[in-house]
Amino acid sequence: MSEFQWVLKGRCYKLGHDVWHAGGVVPSWIITGRHFDPKDIIPHLFEETDPGFHTRCKPGDIIVTGKNFGMGPKMNGYIAMQALGLGLVCESMPFLAYRAAIGCGVRVMTDCVNATDLCDTGDEIEVNFRDGFFINHTRDIRREYPPIPDALMEIVELGGNAGWLQQWQAKRATAVS
Amino acid sequence: MTAVEKVLAAKSGRNSVKPGDVVSPDPDYIMIHDGVVMAAKRELDALGITRLATPDKVMMVTDHDVIYGSARAAERGAFNRKAAAQWGVKNFFDVGRGGHGHIFPMESGLLLPGMFYFDNDRHATNAGAIGAFGFRMGTEISRVLATGTNWVMVPKTVRLTLKGRLQSGVHARDVGFHFAAMLKQEKLSADLDYRVLEYAGDLEQFDLASRAALCSTPTEIRAYGVFVPPSQAIIEHARARGQRLFTAVYSDADAAYDADLMLDISRLEPQVSLPGSVENAVDVSKVEGTVIDHAFIGSCGSGMWEDLVTAASILKGRRLAPNVRLFVAPGSETTNRRLASEGLLGIFIEAGAVMLPPGCGPCNDAVIGPVHSGEVSMSTATNNNAGRFGAKDAQLYLGSPATVAASAVAGKITDARKLN
Repeated sequence: MSEFQWVLKGRCYKLGHDVWHAGGVVPSWIITGRHFDPKDIIPHLFEETDPGFHTRCKPGDIIVTGKNFGMGPKMNGYIAMQALGLGLVCESMPFLAYRAAIGCGVRVMTDCVNATDLCDTGDEIEVNFRDGFFINHTRDIRREYPPIPDALMEIVELGGNAGWLQQWQAKRATAVS
Repeated sequence: MTAVEKVLAAKSGRNSVKPGDVVSPDPDYIMIHDGVVMAAKRELDALGITRLATPDKVMMVTDHDVIYGSARAAERGAFNRKAAAQWGVKNFFDVGRGGHGHIFPMESGLLLPGMFYFDNDRHATNAGAIGAFGFRMGTEISRVLATGTNWVMVPKTVRLTLKGRLQSGVHARDVGFHFAAMLKQEKLSADLDYRVLEYAGDLEQFDLASRAALCSTPTEIRAYGVFVPPSQAIIEHARARGQRLFTAVYSDADAAYDADLMLDISRLEPQVSLPGSVENAVDVSKVEGTVIDHAFIGSCGSGMWEDLVTAASILKGRRLAPNVRLFVAPGSETTNRRLASEGLLGIFIEAGAVMLPPGCGPCNDAVIGPVHSGEVSMSTATNNNAGRFGAKDAQLYLGSPATVAASAVAGKITDARKLN
């Protein structure tokens, strides 16, 4: 567990306020079609606002959003973000959107006040999701934000709920045998 | 502490908790509804998890798709019965055995004041009607089934004090619609996202059914829990039917609230939520005369005995307008039997209504009694978002059981107090 990468460093991808999961993060048909395989979702991440996003982003890149990111508590977009190794920093999220992101193993911080004032798309950003640091190297800005709560870190480390449950069962099976 | 903080602390073995704390409460029940059993079972089977942590706490409920309108639904029903047997779930309320999972446990004394349970469905907020809490887990219900619990972040509480008595002919659902409209119009200010909405004030006037109605609309505007402090009448109901001991929980006098709101309901008129959102509520007089095609009485917000008595009192001796089809879904098998034994079933049938089996009715994804493109519906469904029960371009209006019954008789949206 110790090698899990809680610090991400990459390019900033900035979004505004009130981004719906359906349409804003992934097309609606991804949700209604119940697509949960990352390879099916990745080509369509942010497709309606930034076609080809998946070809330009790199592991470690960080999505920085305004208020109310991910309205509609869906998982599909977070599955793609986790698989692509992206981080997520939001000024606010509906709680169930936050829960869905954690459940998919996304490194995510919310309640990051005025985060979108501190960066622009393309800036070099570094975020420590364990300790709650946000650094914009391009603009030489540093802020502290609420990190992922200790009690939820294991879920993220294990790649989300599925990974957590898999390990829980493996431990139990070992204990029984 | 507030009531929800006290309950979560007690169920988590702590002396106290505060909003933002992450706890793993030991629930009184774990409820899973028919539509998600298959996905949860397959997920757990794939991980080799074939035994549940606490099968005695699990309630499986068939309420979303009760009479199988498709081969796929019948397949799901068969799968669910096999799953219940394999998991050893004894509290399996299958077709014709319980009714709506957010109604019959409160009626029958399974769910009691001070309890806490996990549910896959967000309308578990109805538990607040009896002074308990039900928290939605969505697909994470599989983790609860496997391990017996899941993480919960303690929510903040918003208090809404109701002042005054409702006038005759005005219903608790009208209060919820009006409250949502007041928030949308910024005449009241609070963020309900992941909050518990706790009622206070003149609550003695609300019976269990009215309290369930009070829980409905806040859920649609993102409240995670609703709590109506149990009155003496509610405590007596629970004592008379309770299948175990319970301790009612109330907020401390010095509890901290995220917001403290007041609503005078003494002059409230019957409300109608215009298509698109529960928040679009207006006085019924603003939309009287709108011709309707479809009507529905039921859902977790308006499916209890008293709701149906209200509707029957309007339908008695009357016939539906020729242009209207009315579906009625009682909330429980107990209510269904009582409708028959006390003569109300005849009133609905004589009026021309179609009785649906206890459960969600059209309000679940239009599996039964849907609307067609361009039609106009007047119902007590939980919400009227586009496509809630059928064609996306249908016009879905919401009102109380009285308003829906009167509108079905008149063939157009009607104030029940003015019905000839």
